[in-house]
Amino acid sequence: MDRRGFLKRVGLASAAGGAALLNGREAVRAQGRHAMHHGGQGAVGEVDHVRNGFDPYKILTDFDGGTVSKDSSGRTVREYEFLAVAKEIEVVPGVFFPAWTYNGRVPGPTIRATEGDRIRIKFVNATEHKHTIHFHGIHTAGVDGVPGAGEVDSGEEFTYDFIAEPFGTHLYHCHSLPLTQHIHRGLYGAFIVDPKKGRPDANEMVMVMNAFDTNFDGENEVYALNTVGFAYMVRPIKIEKGRLQRAHVINVTEFDPINSIHIHANFFNLFRTGTKLEPDEFTDIISMGQAERHMLEFTYDQPGHFMFHAHQTEFVELGWLSAFEVE
Amino acid sequence: MSTAETRSRVPVWLGAIAPVLLVAALLLVFVSLDPLGGLRPVPPVETVAFERVKLEPGSIEMQIRNDGPDPVTFAQVLVNDAYWTFTIGNETLDRLESTLVRIPYPWDEGLPLNIALVTSSGVTIEHEIEAAAETPQLDGKTLWIYASLGVYIGVIPIAVGLLWFSALKRASKRWLGFFLAFTVGLLTFLLVDTVDEGLELASETGAALNGPSLFAIGALVAVVGLFVLEHTLERRRDKGVAGLMLAYFIAAGIGLHNLGEGLAVGAALAAGEFALGTFLVVGFALHNTTEGLAIVAPLGTEDARPGLWHFVGLGALAGVPTIAGALLGGSVFSPAWATLAFGVAAGAIAQVVWTITRALPAQGRLTTAYGGAGFLVGLVVMYATGLLT
Repeated sequence: MDRRGFLKRVGLASAAGGAALLNGREAVRAQGRHAMHHGGQGAVGEVDHVRNGFDPYKILTDFDGGTVSKDSSGRTVREYEFLAVAKEIEVVPGVFFPAWTYNGRVPGPTIRATEGDRIRIKFVNATEHKHTIHFHGIHTAGVDGVPGAGEVDSGEEFTYDFIAEPFGTHLYHCHSLPLTQHIHRGLYGAFIVDPKKGRPDANEMVMVMNAFDTNFDGENEVYALNTVGFAYMVRPIKIEKGRLQRAHVINVTEFDPINSIHIHANFFNLFRTGTKLEPDEFTDIISMGQAERHMLEFTYDQPGHFMFHAHQTEFVELGWLSAFEVE
Repeated sequence: MSTAETRSRVPVWLGAIAPVLLVAALLLVFVSLDPLGGLRPVPPVETVAFERVKLEPGSIEMQIRNDGPDPVTFAQVLVNDAYWTFTIGNETLDRLESTLVRIPYPWDEGLPLNIALVTSSGVTIEHEIEAAAETPQLDGKTLWIYASLGVYIGVIPIAVGLLWFSALKRASKRWLGFFLAFTVGLLTFLLVDTVDEGLELASETGAALNGPSLFAIGALVAVVGLFVLEHTLERRRDKGVAGLMLAYFIAAGIGLHNLGEGLAVGAALAAGEFALGTFLVVGFALHNTTEGLAIVAPLGTEDARPGLWHFVGLGALAGVPTIAGALLGGSVFSPAWATLAFGVAAGAIAQVVWTITRALPAQGRLTTAYGGAGFLVGLVVMYATGLLT
């Protein structure tokens, strides 16, 4: 190091030894918060799910079949009401993100239907920006939920009406522009379409892999499953030993092209996009591009604490770290 | 004086204090009405100055200060892009409040550390440590190291430089002029150097403390103070600036510069920002030896030979501040104080440059061959010995 660089570095350091001039208030204040996780890693404190208005633990199994009726042809009709609202949500303890939400939660409600059902969603926009609901599925152009076809102005409403197909693990999201912002701010959710024949009985869970760029610099500060970083480390997901588990894993991460899920001490059957009845692969990790989603089936035969997480390890350290508690 | 004023029954003190009271009252009204409330930026401005970072095995400790206009609430800490456990004295800091953050982290010697404080609004405020190293404990041994460092890079080189006096004494008038101009060149280099470093530090004081203003205040205080001092001394002697007095002024200016240099060295060591290399000490020493020459140059013009104790005094004035600086920098240091010190040094050097230039003998004027050459050689020598470090 040269002398000049050295002197400059001192400027950058702007720090040195010496007495810590604590004022009285600081000294008195208790240092009550502590970390939940191994070896010091992880966020400090706990998220207030009540204040958020949604709980990642409940979102896992919160399937919404809508208000069910039959039309004249005997087809099942599922009706929903979606409200776009802006809301500040806590994404890791103490850190608040100015989200845009469907019905006040991120991810939005999990729509659950059987292939061939008619879906009718009345969408009211209570934010100051335009929004849509764009479904990944097969439908007509008029209800595609893009600018020009189902985009809803502030204070307006629109009804999306289509047939649920094909069966599989799908998603919906806002398609207004700029797209990155509208998705990243929280306007997305799971859209699960069951095959007519049904599937074997299982404990089903929805896992939306999402992330938040809290300082709006184009890189995420928080990665999570169902919004809250480290949520399932603080409260591991309890699953039953020997019971078939079916996870609908959906990647809506913005800014990073790829996310992934890896489960510890086990392998899973992979049903790509959930569109087939037979598994495509048997593995313990699957990578997904943006909006890619798959169905995972696995069974834990031994009790214990098993982690599962992204294998982009930097995502792990920023919140996408979870655990199963097998009992 | 008008008759109206003499007849006024308002006491002078009241007349003096009334505008102050009036402006205080107006401000009170302004604050209570808050007419600018609607203009405040919606996302609060959140900035933090990292005033002190202490690294111990398995631990990072940071003294932070809110130097922005709005209160800041700290929610999480990221170390090298990973959420990490921490404790904080005070989670919410009002403007200019400070607190201590402790992070138990197994950092690695010599590797960079990036620490980001995540505020409640999701803003990240980062601090970069280029190479992690343990912060030296402030015990007798470290203080001794700082002090001897000051001796090696400040006192000894300058004392050695003073030995050029005997050669100067025998030099011709032209060469004396050359060396005086050399001194001007050398000091000019130091002036630029000091301004550069000072403004660099000023940018680290944070917006609220306004580093550049601190620097300017320090510089102006030094310039005005030294001019007043010089004028007083001149009046007393009733003649122009004597060589010996000039030497003392140069020594004082260089001493202030070395105080800043010592601060920088001590602070860097204490911050654990860098491990001092032998080469760096050698560089500082060579650089500073030429400063001794600068001090004795005006003495060559004197007929009388100053007493030995003057040399001791000159050497001490220029060199000892390095020790003081290193000790201060190693113990109590903040970018604000250092900026002020660098400002004072810059002002002092500027004033000395002015004084010597005015007192240059005919053969040393910068427009003469010897004078011009001396000035340029002074600049180049400082630059070259600077390269060594």
